[in-house]
Amino acid sequence: MSPRRISIRDFCRKTGQLVELDPGQFLPLPAPYDTLEFQPKIKPLSEDGKRKYESDLDGVSAVKLPRPQTEDEKRVLVEKFLTGLRKLFEQENNWTFMQPLFLTMEYCARCQTCASACPIYTESDGIEIYRPTFRADILRRLYRTYVKASGRLTAVITGNGIEASWQMLARLMELSYRCTLCRRCAQTCPIGVDNGLVSRELRKIFSQELGIAADSLHRQGTQLQLSAGSSTGMPPAAFLDNIEFLEDEVEERTGRRFKWPIDKAGADVLLIHNAGEFLAWPENPEAFAIILEACGVSYTLSSEAVGYDSVNYGVWYDDVQFARVATRHAQIAKKLGVKKIVLGECGHAHKALTVVADRVFTGDNNIPRESSLTFLHQLIVKEQRLKLDPARNDDIITTLHDPCNMVRLMGIVQPQRDLLRAVSNNFREMEPHGVENYCCGGGSGFAITQDLNFPDWRHSLSGRAKMRQILDVFHDVLDPETKKYVCAPCSNCKGALRDLFASYGLFDRCNVLYGGLVELIVNAMVDLDRPYIEWDWH
Amino acid sequence: MTWLQIFMYIAFAVFAAGTAWKVYRIARMPIHLRWDLYPIPHEKGRAHYGGSYYEEFEWWTKPRETSRLNELWAMAKEIFFIQSLYHHNRSLWIWSFPFHLGLYLLVGFLLALATVALAGTLAPEQVIYSSAGSIFVFLAAASPYIGTVGALFLTVGSLGLLVSRLINRDLRSASGRTDYFNLMLLGAVGASLMVTDIRSRAGFLDIYFFIRHLVTLSPAQPLAPAATAHVLLAGIFLLWLPMTHMTHFVGKYFTYHRVRWEDHPNLRGSKIESALNRSLGYPITWSAPHISGKTWADAASAPGREEEKP
Repeated sequence: MSPRRISIRDFCRKTGQLVELDPGQFLPLPAPYDTLEFQPKIKPLSEDGKRKYESDLDGVSAVKLPRPQTEDEKRVLVEKFLTGLRKLFEQENNWTFMQPLFLTMEYCARCQTCASACPIYTESDGIEIYRPTFRADILRRLYRTYVKASGRLTAVITGNGIEASWQMLARLMELSYRCTLCRRCAQTCPIGVDNGLVSRELRKIFSQELGIAADSLHRQGTQLQLSAGSSTGMPPAAFLDNIEFLEDEVEERTGRRFKWPIDKAGADVLLIHNAGEFLAWPENPEAFAIILEACGVSYTLSSEAVGYDSVNYGVWYDDVQFARVATRHAQIAKKLGVKKIVLGECGHAHKALTVVADRVFTGDNNIPRESSLTFLHQLIVKEQRLKLDPARNDDIITTLHDPCNMVRLMGIVQPQRDLLRAVSNNFREMEPHGVENYCCGGGSGFAITQDLNFPDWRHSLSGRAKMRQILDVFHDVLDPETKKYVCAPCSNCKGALRDLFASYGLFDRCNVLYGGLVELIVNAMVDLDRPYIEWDWH
Repeated sequence: MTWLQIFMYIAFAVFAAGTAWKVYRIARMPIHLRWDLYPIPHEKGRAHYGGSYYEEFEWWTKPRETSRLNELWAMAKEIFFIQSLYHHNRSLWIWSFPFHLGLYLLVGFLLALATVALAGTLAPEQVIYSSAGSIFVFLAAASPYIGTVGALFLTVGSLGLLVSRLINRDLRSASGRTDYFNLMLLGAVGASLMVTDIRSRAGFLDIYFFIRHLVTLSPAQPLAPAATAHVLLAGIFLLWLPMTHMTHFVGKYFTYHRVRWEDHPNLRGSKIESALNRSLGYPITWSAPHISGKTWADAASAPGREEEKP
């Protein structure tokens, strides 16, 4: 059966793998990726993997959920799901999202405006299961059949009924991990329905009621963060060692030796980075340290568990885990007595702590939070505390990737552009950009989900729109001699771009590198005697 | 009272009660976590590119600058012009715009006739077609045209949307039987009014007097077959409406003002904080192993059973 003709009935009833994915059927990319030769493949799961893990949706597994072995196990899982479904529409259990979810359940006109906004659906060239309303309609049918008072009767009359089975629910669970929660669909909806929220709320039922979530988000994500101190597994002692190492590295790169402020009570600012930066892109927190030292800012980092890792993966799948991590961040800031928290270059951490958690904090936990983009804009563009020469970046053509969480989901659009223009004479915009941007492909936890063949799916499909934008924006300078830089002020986006570029060989073939914003700023500082950005693949 | 009159009273009552119940249900739902989406039109000086107050250094130390006028203008464009569909789905807007405009004009037609009828009852001395200079004369004279244009737009819009759903692959695969039924019903409402021909004196007076008898609670005369069909179809629509997504004319207020554009910061001592304190006190019964605590406040501050393990 063509993947473009799958119906909800097929989704519920057909056995085995529902959709076969073939990158040759996706929208073609511009040159030099206009043939399949240089494009990544989606490797099928091994026979053992297929036997072990639920993958009957599209042959891909994000959650790595073991298949239940008995009918009894399946029955229990279905019952638990339905219990969770009812809780989703209870004021006490879901005050956090009940109103937007209820509105989404009630008011979709199925006009399909959202479909043309969804990069996964459009890049797949119309694979039905990826249509934003597909999974939303399944949840709507479940809601009408199992939650609404008049449910079963009206479901029969309107033809919108559905029978819950484990096969269908296992596919639905995986399908909730085929959406990056970029919310382009919601942005274009004329009614204001949010089909992206549906993915999140489905994940929530599985997590909060059945204890099932992608390992990368839950066990190796929020749980590890709350127990070890960071989702990277880095405990406080290792963090302190790391900082010493970074201090040495800054000296090597810039000749400047200074002590990074750690646990400095009464500082003005608590700066929290995504802890992944310390391990994968240390040049980013180092650049922050160089800038803040040069600007004479009173700030501190925290060495307390969770206090040195701004990530909050709960925002993508679990309200309780979300609230726990956010509360820890607030308590640590309160203990240090800072005036505000500033978030480093991490998009989801921005939205989680600044916007979403605004409805979690009460009393003295409600400490002001600010984006580092806004903060740096004040220091560098408005107060001009640094001596910068954009000509120092003249050998690099730069474009800006807008992290969804910063632009569409919290309205920080201009400061990063002002900063880029202050440090680059060769800045060009992708199209579309700003609040209409495309996700990097790693949103909602995809960037950190490395299990089984999920990364293949991400490179081929969820990152495809971004790949297309990058090729388009640099179309006239794709030769390997010209240095091109995708500035992505977000750790998750950088992780997604790193893997995306590697899978397409974009650095080797076209000399396109990715990195943060602060690195470009430091690269433009006139009083550094050599370039800060090391032009090599990392 | 005729059976049609009684049917219409029931239809209006069900419509009003059903819609009010929906509004009440949604309005009393507790405050939710913030889930705003940009651009937000009341952001003064920033709405045009989607910026927010988070672009302002230490925004909490400064007065918020918002523009109610911008928001009203955005609402007007959305309500009357269906602007988001115009921008993001032009091929559907071509039909959706006349469809909605037709509905607005028909509501206007109904209100105009009801106003004239009430005025005619309160001042029975030849309100219709007399009393030169009166607004009622204008309403009475304009309403056949408002109604006719409305019916035409609604019929054409419904037909266009129906055909779009049938021939467009994207729409067809996402459409259910209720989508087709809704469009056919509304198309029939419009077409039946066109057949009634309210531009003719007989057709107009038929509808006018029926509405007049409805608003004055007096027995109506039997209607011509086309007018009967129109009233009956309109009544069926009113009965059906509260059970469908078509109540988005009220739902949209909430999706925009309570979710998408809802960016009020939670300040200490504010009403938002009080509401949050209530919500954080709600009992929590999610049963996954990592969830602990009796209330949301407990759960948020507890490490969780699994995290407690070394």
